[in-house]
Amino acid sequence: MAQYPAQLDGVFVALADPTRRAVVRRLGHGPTSVGDLAREFPMTLPSFMKHVRTLESNGLIRTVKSGRVRTCVLNRERLALVDDWLAEQRRIWNERTDRLEQFVTDPEENRQ
Amino acid sequence: MNPDLDLALERIIHAPRATVWRAWTDPSRLEQWWVPAPSRCRVDRLDLRPGGAFVTRLSDDGAEFVPHLDACFLAVDELERIVFTNAIDSTWRPASPAPVAMTATITLNDHPDGTDYRIVVRHGDPEARAHHEKLGFADGWGTVTAQLAARTEGRQ
Repeated sequence: MAQYPAQLDGVFVALADPTRRAVVRRLGHGPTSVGDLAREFPMTLPSFMKHVRTLESNGLIRTVKSGRVRTCVLNRERLALVDDWLAEQRRIWNERTDRLEQFVTDPEENRQ
Repeated sequence: MNPDLDLALERIIHAPRATVWRAWTDPSRLEQWWVPAPSRCRVDRLDLRPGGAFVTRLSDDGAEFVPHLDACFLAVDELERIVFTNAIDSTWRPASPAPVAMTATITLNDHPDGTDYRIVVRHGDPEARAHHEKLGFADGWGTVTAQLAARTEGRQ
């Protein structure tokens, strides 16, 4: 993480707000239009757009305009700077399986 | 499977299915591989039935054991499948386990080279817990906060 200090600061700022964290979580399920997103939050559209711009300027989301619809897409790589818990869980289970395999293939264990 | 939250592992283990099953279901054997050395594991409860307790403790020095896993079996099918969750603890009390709530499904099948061993771990959403934290950051963010603080303090 230390090699991206500036990016990390931005990510950290962007995620310091519950609305913005909720948007990130929502976009984790797939791209969504700004209009659909905004309807889920109890605030005015200008206030909501401010949050969207903060997420976008810090690289957590991209927005793509098609006709009159602006769609938000999660930038997973940027999120991965801080949110690597799943990789950590994978490592734990992988290593646990390694140990199980070593244990059951030990000649001692198979003699019984 | 939700690729953002869940993980799947598959491995061919070169040992008979009964041997793998025994390594999972005999406390004295489970203790030998459940946690990474040099930490030591102690299996407190291993009630292999739906609703049964699954409790392990962990020690770094071999003297003092601290809580590790406090979970509950959901399904146990002899030689075939083990499912457990830490979303409810061994007393069936709803829990908020760190780092994240999970349901783990382990399936064993015969394979010409031994055992086809598969794991699916379904996780709760770790960010959902952030709302309950005073600073709005779950454990995962805590590390980041500490690192950020250390770095910004270093800059001043």
